Amino acid sequence: MAADYVSPFDERVRAAEPLAPRPASVAGSRVVLLDIRKNRGAEFLDRVETLLTSAGAATTRVTKEIFSKPAALSLIDEIASGGGLVVEALAD
Amino acid sequence: MALRADGTGGRGGSPAPELSVHGTGLAPVTIAGLTAGGCALLVFVSEHCPTSALALRRLGPLCQAWARAGLTAVAIFEDPLDLAIRTARRLGWTGQVAAQEAPYPASRDYGLATVPTAVLVGRDGVVAGTVSGWDRRALAALLRAAGEGLGADLAAPPEAEPLTKPGCSSKAAIDPELAAAMSASEGADELEEMFERGWTDGLPVVPPTMERVEAMLGGWDGDESLGLVPPAMGEATLARVAACAVLAGCRPDYFPVVAAAARAVLDPAFNLHGQAVTTQPAGQLVVVNGPVREAIGLNTGMGALGPGFRANLTIGRALRLLVCLTGGAMPGAMDRSTLGHMGKLSFCVAEDEEGSPWEPLHVERGFAAGQSVVTVIGSDAPLSISDHRSRTPEDLAYILAWAAASAWSTNWWPLAEPSVYVICPEHAQMFRDAGWTKQRLRQFMFEAVRRPARLLRRGETTPVVHMAGPDALVRKWASADAIVLLVAGGEAGRYSAVLGPCTGMGSQIVSREVESRGR
Repeated sequence: MAADYVSPFDERVRAAEPLAPRPASVAGSRVVLLDIRKNRGAEFLDRVETLLTSAGAATTRVTKEIFSKPAALSLIDEIASGGGLVVEALAD
Repeated sequence: MALRADGTGGRGGSPAPELSVHGTGLAPVTIAGLTAGGCALLVFVSEHCPTSALALRRLGPLCQAWARAGLTAVAIFEDPLDLAIRTARRLGWTGQVAAQEAPYPASRDYGLATVPTAVLVGRDGVVAGTVSGWDRRALAALLRAAGEGLGADLAAPPEAEPLTKPGCSSKAAIDPELAAAMSASEGADELEEMFERGWTDGLPVVPPTMERVEAMLGGWDGDESLGLVPPAMGEATLARVAACAVLAGCRPDYFPVVAAAARAVLDPAFNLHGQAVTTQPAGQLVVVNGPVREAIGLNTGMGALGPGFRANLTIGRALRLLVCLTGGAMPGAMDRSTLGHMGKLSFCVAEDEEGSPWEPLHVERGFAAGQSVVTVIGSDAPLSISDHRSRTPEDLAYILAWAAASAWSTNWWPLAEPSVYVICPEHAQMFRDAGWTKQRLRQFMFEAVRRPARLLRRGETTPVVHMAGPDALVRKWASADAIVLLVAGGEAGRYSAVLGPCTGMGSQIVSREVESRGR
């Protein structure tokens, strides 16, 4: 029989989820813009917000407490209820 | 070889049998679940079978696009789940993974003779077609049929040789004893098997057999949870921590130190999550204080930051394996460190309390001298500081302090996070002879390193520098507390070291007492 090992892995860890379908157009959509507080992320989102608004989308800005920690559940809830689309300014 | 590639053979037209398999999630793997978004492609495979490996490698990259079009692909292994996951990952399979063990009920229910076998199940839960072995053309036809049902154009595997390849016997179709022998690792190279499973940091490891892990636990409850290890949030049961300690090469008497280090890094204040995934090089420095150093043979002397001593190397390595394996932070995967540093293999230093003129780190942090304590600090690689010619403590302190001027980045002043100094005994002796306390040295170093803001404005710099007047003096550290002082190293040689910080993480230094086995 195969040797009986104790795995260092937690096999319940979920595999990566597939990406959600991409919309053909943002016109009429609500888009949440997530600033994770990385350097110059806000500047990037300013530009993205301008482009989205001119394309007919409505935008909402939210901010993480710190870029290096997972977002608070309350913020995730806020994002989930804020619109169908999210743009995250990831890194400088 | 295609045995039933016409889309109707075998069980074509019959309801797909329910699956008796283990998936990677908490929810059971069901035909209804797999076909909820459209249809499903069940790919029966076995780890030992080269044709299965070919199928996983060729089909794997297509699974995500199929999923978006409504076809859920699942590789069903005739192997243990952990081996299935490792094999799927190694071969680039991006679909779901499930596993079955002897007597391989799912393979039996589907009447398998061969692996790989691909079974297409329609949205009505009926088997729409089967392809056995590797047959590129038959698989393309199967995918066309699936695409027609979904109203989508599903990508087919590339037209690469071999276009056909016979499969291997399904373990469900052969004598159970022979199947068991095929699954056995005896006769195989155990060390190579560890690499195959992905249970490594890139160096050979000690296989974590039940017996070794039991010995490592030393009577502690393996089911006890220390918490979730980021970023993948695998649960750090003591058994998994012990498995990492075995893999790293620890002796069982090191395990209380490993467990204390694990508890320390899992304290949210340490922010292991940020450290584990950052592009920074930072590793997790483990500092050990107290009687346990001598009890388990930790080196505090010559080569204190280098190789040669099992306890130092394997304790640091065990912690890193926990982060990489249970926590999923393998370099290039969720660990995104641009360069990393060798301390990310193992990074454990024991303080030379007996040779130090000062109170040791754990006493500074509120523990009693007689307690054994592990302290973890997010740290960059060591920078050696040579000073053989200073003749006053002021000169030596100045040289030590200014060595950190470029820590993190040349003009990044001030640093809020800790810079760790490992002071060698000869340097420590100069401060002892002059009667300098630790606090005096720390304060001197803090005040010594300052520059006019105008000299710090080139390239990457800080808001503090930008806001300061041109001649305003900016310090390297935000406070004297950001300077951590340890004593360790060989008695001869005037080489200390400074370890730069992990910045921007809000990471704090965390200490945990080493629990005794007799609890």
